[in-house]
Amino acid sequence: MSSQPRTYLRFPLARRIEHIGLMLSFITLAATGLPQKYPTSGISIFIVQALGGVENIRTIHHAMSILVMFAIIYHLLVMGYKVFVLRTPWSMMLSLQDAKDGIHALLYNIGIAKTSPKMGRYTFEEKFEYWAFVWGYTIMGITGFIMWNPITATRYLPGEFVPAAKAAHGGEAVLAVLAIIIWHMYGVNIKHFNRSIFTGKITEEEMVHEHPKELEDIKAGRVDRVPDAATLRKRRRIFYPIAAILTIAMLAGVYGYINSEETALKTIPPISTTVESPLQTPQP
Amino acid sequence: MRLRKQLSAPPFWTVGLLLALGLLFFALTSFATPTQAAPDKFQGEQPSNDFCLACHQEEGITLTLGSDSLPVTINPTLFSLSVHAEEGINCVDCHTNISDYPHPDVQEKSVQDFSQALNVSCKDCHEEQYSNVQDSVHQRAISEGKENAPLCSDCHNPHTQTRVIGTESGQLTIAARLHIPQTCAQCHSDKYEQYKASVHGKALTEEGNVDVPTCTDCHGVHKISDPTTATFRNSTPALCANCHTDPKIMDKYGISTKVLDTYVADFHGTTVKLFAEQFPDQPTNKAVCTDCHGVHDISKVDNPQTGIALRENLLIKCQRCHPDATANFPGAWLSHYEPSPQHSPIVYFVTLFYKIMIPSIIGGMVFFIITDIYRRMVNRAKGVKHA
Repeated sequence: MSSQPRTYLRFPLARRIEHIGLMLSFITLAATGLPQKYPTSGISIFIVQALGGVENIRTIHHAMSILVMFAIIYHLLVMGYKVFVLRTPWSMMLSLQDAKDGIHALLYNIGIAKTSPKMGRYTFEEKFEYWAFVWGYTIMGITGFIMWNPITATRYLPGEFVPAAKAAHGGEAVLAVLAIIIWHMYGVNIKHFNRSIFTGKITEEEMVHEHPKELEDIKAGRVDRVPDAATLRKRRRIFYPIAAILTIAMLAGVYGYINSEETALKTIPPISTTVESPLQTPQP
Repeated sequence: MRLRKQLSAPPFWTVGLLLALGLLFFALTSFATPTQAAPDKFQGEQPSNDFCLACHQEEGITLTLGSDSLPVTINPTLFSLSVHAEEGINCVDCHTNISDYPHPDVQEKSVQDFSQALNVSCKDCHEEQYSNVQDSVHQRAISEGKENAPLCSDCHNPHTQTRVIGTESGQLTIAARLHIPQTCAQCHSDKYEQYKASVHGKALTEEGNVDVPTCTDCHGVHKISDPTTATFRNSTPALCANCHTDPKIMDKYGISTKVLDTYVADFHGTTVKLFAEQFPDQPTNKAVCTDCHGVHDISKVDNPQTGIALRENLLIKCQRCHPDATANFPGAWLSHYEPSPQHSPIVYFVTLFYKIMIPSIIGGMVFFIITDIYRRMVNRAKGVKHA
């Protein structure tokens, strides 16, 4: 018999590139953001000095956030295509089953349930993380905008929203970094080293343990059913123009995000320029 | 030959020994001599102060220097009250080229040149102060040949200067401290007028309050640095914090000592803190204390005309750097308050939300992971393959 275990394609190349981009931008954003939240810490000062000063780390932070914005637009377009054109089942969508699976897994871990939950393409752990990211980046995007464009923001919002945005941005950052270190690292590196996001492949044995329902679906031929050419063409005719308009709108949004205002003068006008003003009648 | 050698030996040794002893004595005495003591420069008979004052107390006598005319009348009463008279300093200790009458001819063509030539004699007793001045912005003005550049005697008239350091306390006397602004006002009268009307200056000039800063507390005494440099600006928060984080001074007036912490917690302060760490001499466009509070014209924040506790007044300050800022914008600054339900409730509750959310979510994750590890260990011990 063949010693090569059967593998399945879990993540196509585009998903893998998205992950690498997300990973690198996340690390960079954290490394340039946290020193601004904790400016007195020795590590912060070290990072700031290593990257050539606080203005530099801000520029890097901003550049990375633009990258994230582009990645989000790309992700939305791909997901839109899959959901509306290919009608791929929305496997990342949350459902009551995920809550049940979570409780089931916990009960199994502490010895009350006899078996572990049987889950599909995305386990509740993975969905939790994905939606945590959606939540996190929404907060980061809104609060980041307020801080990037405080003058525009305070035309419509009370001034206090600016420091509040800063507090939320920092709090959310700490939450996200800790969640990645604890939840993500445990789930994909410690529990068992899961390479599928880099190789794209997953073995049959891993499928049996982690995604038994998906394996059942694959074996029953219920996944990757492509609609017939005529339907596809019809749906594309609707999707493409809408996607194009949305893309332009979103890119305009990104442009506005970056260029809403000139927040501050680069050089502050001097407070006083005169130096000498001798008394008319000198006093000893 | 032999005899001569024997004979010449003792004088050689004696001379060497005496020389060495002399050098040792010189070295010891020169270190032991207090710098404050007047050197006995004058060779031969010194004319007494009374001898000089016999002529110089006469009213209206002047010395003509080129086109300048320098009054050389010395008031004997004021001189007798001066620290120099108290310390027994003689006129000729400073005026070293004069020993008799008629005086030697004066070469200098202006009062400034004349004073500058005499200025070096201050160094003999006040070496530390003299060398500090060498690094100052005033020395730069002297070097640039500015006509009004101040010399020692412009701030300390040597014939009338009273004691400024208390003999027992070793500190600046209260009287001297209160007099400083008037000294600086001789050349910086516009700054003096601003200072006098400011919260600090008013307290000093009207109430004789010694808690408030006088000119030298911010600018230094003899080593006065250029206050228009980026270095000076970047160091402003630390400078103000010297007093404003000291509860011994601030508690009396009910002023918060958290002003520095709250500033560093804000965007501007965070930047300046991180920035000054690496580029203390580079300009930054982030606000420091003086950008909002003013420099010499610092007023109480609740002053109805100028106080920046009033949003409209603060907005004017914001607009110096943020020209497009509108009415809500000053609210982005928390006015040195730590967020609380009364001050900045939105910031307070957002912070509180994360204070609760972070440990709850992370704690839940850790709990789940621990149960997962436990299950894996149990299964491994039982030999059950993870299902």
